[in-house]
Amino acid sequence: MGLLNFTREPVPEAVSADMHNLNQLSAQQFSALTEVLFRFLTEPKEVERFLTQLSDFATMNKISLGPLKNIVKSILLVPNGALKRNLSSEQVRADFIALGLSEEKASYFAEQWKVNSPTLTRLAVGQTLMINQLIDMEWKFGVTAGSSELEKVGSIFLQLKLVVKKGSQLENVYVELTLPQFYSFLHEMERVKTSLESFS
Amino acid sequence: MAALRDGDFAALQTLLKAPSKDAVRQLCQECFSSPPAALGPLAQRACPGLAVSAEEAEQLVSALHNLTRHVVYRGLTGAEDILRLFPENFHQNLKNLLTKIILENISAWRNEAQASQISLPRLVDMDWRVDIKTSSDSIVRMAVPTCLLQLKIQEDAALCGNNPVVSALTVELSKETLDTMLEGLGRIRDQLSAVANK
Repeated sequence: MGLLNFTREPVPEAVSADMHNLNQLSAQQFSALTEVLFRFLTEPKEVERFLTQLSDFATMNKISLGPLKNIVKSILLVPNGALKRNLSSEQVRADFIALGLSEEKASYFAEQWKVNSPTLTRLAVGQTLMINQLIDMEWKFGVTAGSSELEKVGSIFLQLKLVVKKGSQLENVYVELTLPQFYSFLHEMERVKTSLESFS
Repeated sequence: MAALRDGDFAALQTLLKAPSKDAVRQLCQECFSSPPAALGPLAQRACPGLAVSAEEAEQLVSALHNLTRHVVYRGLTGAEDILRLFPENFHQNLKNLLTKIILENISAWRNEAQASQISLPRLVDMDWRVDIKTSSDSIVRMAVPTCLLQLKIQEDAALCGNNPVVSALTVELSKETLDTMLEGLGRIRDQLSAVANK
């Protein structure tokens, strides 16, 4: 096996056997299995659903679930590596062929990969580390009517509640701004937006 | 907040013993700015300059504190309003001097009162920076812009006295979060304009 695109590490031995078994599936069966796989990749939280669909596939096609799971594990190695390395569909196809999958099936999978990769890339980017991510912002503003030192005040205040994710916990931060501060804050945030947009 | 008491105006007449008008002015400012708890020490410091007993100094300082704070509380701005506070038999020149000093300082005092109002922690400064994320463990090559926003927040001034605690909070915002935030801020601005135009 030559150099693979999706990984630099040696591939487990079982993979060749799994690819051989995959080649035994009809085009229709392979297409159905691919659909199940991509649905899981684009919605990685739906583990229950994925396992159910795999089990249904096994039953309908008279394949034992155990071996099927191993085959699926082998297949998934490629898209996971491909995502990390921004591989093109050509490279994905080449890798499957190198692993022993038939040309027809490799091309089909690569096609599906092309279709789904924008969604998958967005998911991967979304998982990237963020420090103290701002989750939510609530606000209220009002008028200070009076205080113990000033009978009549009539000044506007703005209160922000920022919900920040620190590690795995959420923390609330309360801040008060005067009106000039608010306008200055708004102005700065608009500048940030312009800056972010010029880099997108 | 202090209310004017009967004995206050009698105590104020002690100011006639002050060495100069500037001394009176200085004392007025110190008495306004001092919190009630610090009036005792202030009286002790003022005592020698006025050539009065410790007790008289205390009563004077307390009376000046009450008078200045009362004027600020009521929001009196006109000379007549302030003059009207004094009883009829009060020393004419002293009354005019005190009124003049109060009028000179009233807006600064009002700002001081507003600045030391109780409030939630206040924003004192903000800085931002835009980074481009180029790589991570989940994806080796990317170009994702992100914003880091640092807010400097000061705890309630009244609780900290002379050493306000300023904490810095750095938050990260994705482009989507920023857009949502701007939407919210825009809505605040629209509502503020609506209120201002009423």
